[in-house]
Amino acid sequence: MTSSSVQGKRRQRFDRLVTVFHQDMYRFAAWLSRDKAIAEDVVQEALLRAWKSLDALRDDGAAKQWLLTIVRRENARHFERRRLETVDIDDLSASQAALLAETPNEELNDLREAIFGLDDDYREPLVLQVLMGYSTNEIAEMMGLKQGAVLTRLHRARHKLKDGVAEA
Amino acid sequence: MTGEQDKEFQQYQALDLKIAKALQIDVPELTMPELPDVDTPVVTALPERKRSMKPVWFAIAATVVLAASISVRMSSVFQDYDSLAEEVLAHIDHEPGALRATNVAIADDRLARAVPASIATYDRGEALITYAQSCVINGNTVPHLVIQGQYGPVTILLMPDEKIAAATPIDGEYLKGVILPVGRGSIAIVGDRDEPLESIKKNVVSSVTWTT
Repeated sequence: MTSSSVQGKRRQRFDRLVTVFHQDMYRFAAWLSRDKAIAEDVVQEALLRAWKSLDALRDDGAAKQWLLTIVRRENARHFERRRLETVDIDDLSASQAALLAETPNEELNDLREAIFGLDDDYREPLVLQVLMGYSTNEIAEMMGLKQGAVLTRLHRARHKLKDGVAEA
Repeated sequence: MTGEQDKEFQQYQALDLKIAKALQIDVPELTMPELPDVDTPVVTALPERKRSMKPVWFAIAATVVLAASISVRMSSVFQDYDSLAEEVLAHIDHEPGALRATNVAIADDRLARAVPASIATYDRGEALITYAQSCVINGNTVPHLVIQGQYGPVTILLMPDEKIAAATPIDGEYLKGVILPVGRGSIAIVGDRDEPLESIKKNVVSSVTWTT
């Protein structure tokens, strides 16, 4: 097999994975960073990193978790020196506000704002479970937590969202 | 399920449906970054061997092939050390738990499961160990530990079967570290590029005793 055909097959494999998982990568990055512009940067960096280390991914069946892990890492790197602990919902940048772009559904808007306002520790497992479809066991593995801690965080996240939406 | 539980379950499902919908934000069109060329191993198809009517030429050719083969094998032995560093970096890249910055220490029994007595003993001392798993590096099962450094997680791989002659630097895009020869094996220690690893190295090496 020639070098160019090896590269070609590698690129085909990468394109296939990115086509399938790009939306998940972006949404995960957006809800982690709470900022659409940062999410786009994080995804770009994650794609580059994934491309460089594609050969380390031996099983394409594990690609989703592998890519989300890279996104998670790139996001953490982005905030390493500029961590946003809290964000005032009334004082958002344009790209943060873009995440909460209003839909005609008022209840959905309220819920989106409530998710936006959750602490990182609650928002991340919620996104991984509800949006990405991971089990609490898998989330525990990804976040380096005990399953019990994940269950507690998920319970509290839902509780806060219920309260938040009820108050709105 | 009682009526009350049933109602609660339905409420829970309804809330999840709404959350899922709220999380489904619009995704911009994919813009692929410029992807650099990456070195990939090339397997060259050998031409079909022709039958030789002259055994003497066959014998000479066989000798040359054998010598070349030994030479290639020897060079690959040396290359193993480089690829070990790369494998360590690649492993860290897709080991989710290793990326977690946390101050929650793992339990002793989890540490004991990850570092079985058949491999080594690890004296956790004052270190904040936040992750411990059995992983596979270069075909061998090795304990993968994470402690928290000043700049985030520091990965430690205890590799009793990877004997190296000298310390091997690990130089990743965002990470740096070293593989240290320790007794009959080696230990990889990798952290953020800004992480001061000297004291961590000393502590880790003095904490590990290989099981002989």
